[in-house]
Amino acid sequence: MNEEQIKQLCIRADETAGEPPFRLITTAGIRRQVRRRRFVRVAVPASLAAVLAVAAALSAIWMRMGGPQPQPQRIASLEEQVQQLQARTDATLKLMQEVLERDRQDRRLAALETELASIPDPVQEIDRQVDKTAFILVYQADKLYKELNQTESAVAAYKEVIQLFPTNQWANVARERLSQIEQRRLNKSDGQKGEPKWEPRNT
Amino acid sequence: MAAMAKVTEELALVERFRRGDDSAFEAIVEQHAAAVAALANRLLGWPGDVDDVVQEVFVAAFFGLKKFRGESSLRTWLFTITVNKCRSFRFRRLRRLRRVAVEEVTARESRERSGEKAALDQEALAQVRRAIQVLPRKYREIVVLRYLQGLEVSEICELLGITANAMQVRLNRARKRLKEQLGDLLEE
Repeated sequence: MNEEQIKQLCIRADETAGEPPFRLITTAGIRRQVRRRRFVRVAVPASLAAVLAVAAALSAIWMRMGGPQPQPQRIASLEEQVQQLQARTDATLKLMQEVLERDRQDRRLAALETELASIPDPVQEIDRQVDKTAFILVYQADKLYKELNQTESAVAAYKEVIQLFPTNQWANVARERLSQIEQRRLNKSDGQKGEPKWEPRNT
Repeated sequence: MAAMAKVTEELALVERFRRGDDSAFEAIVEQHAAAVAALANRLLGWPGDVDDVVQEVFVAAFFGLKKFRGESSLRTWLFTITVNKCRSFRFRRLRRLRRVAVEEVTARESRERSGEKAALDQEALAQVRRAIQVLPRKYREIVVLRYLQGLEVSEICELLGITANAMQVRLNRARKRLKEQLGDLLEE
């Protein structure tokens, strides 16, 4: 079997197969094909990406919404956690109420202290009134002695101050006046006349 | 002289296409589509439907024609594209074709066992086609281009990018394989 035999056999086999049908392609057809291929090249990956994005989003929503059905142990654990959270919430609320109550009490105490501070001390007030009364008496006695020249009435008034308010400063003043009056009487009896040298003490 | 005129005509068509004349490309398609389809049909094992491959070849030619330098004939250039497209197309079907070939060998052995002495009829010629089809790619392409397309050695060498010596070696080996597969048919 030589080359020519094989060649002829191949040619006969090819001839019996017949001519292949085909369409004549045009430039417009080629351009359409190119446009279609470009579209597919862009659209397929874009569609795939969109589908993947939607699937991911749905998966995320599913995970958030429901997820797998919880097991009884998981339910019990969740209930326990809820109870613990409730107890902690109650304790926190109670503590808050206590803190608020204490704050209210503190504010009330501060208001009372302020009110109390505004009230004058009665002892000091009495002392002030006593001092004032003693002064008035001494003043009137001085007026009797100097202006009205009623020495006896003035001496009586000084003695009254000393009797009523022995520890007061005006009692000392009254004693000083009495001493001066006594001294003047002695001088008068010795033949000396003169006005008293002391002046009423201003308050 | 006629060949020279043909080359000149082809270059004129290509130049017209480069200048934006779509009718020039359609003229090229009209001239070479049948030959391209026949080559694709043979390289793909006579499937009968080579429209997709022909379309792909001319789409590639449409975009590549502007780079065509005229160093080879337009037909050789289109055949080169066809061979490459057929290689890609055939690669996807390779396993299926091999399975078919095995089934055919089994069928032939069965006929031999039955002692049937059939003439070289259509079935036998189909068997020849299948034998060519299951040849390794480098042998199959040589057989198709040399025997069935009737191309010159120089043109085949240019088309496949091989030397004349390499082409002869491949052709001899292809023949040897065909003899092995079609020995009984050839004796008849």
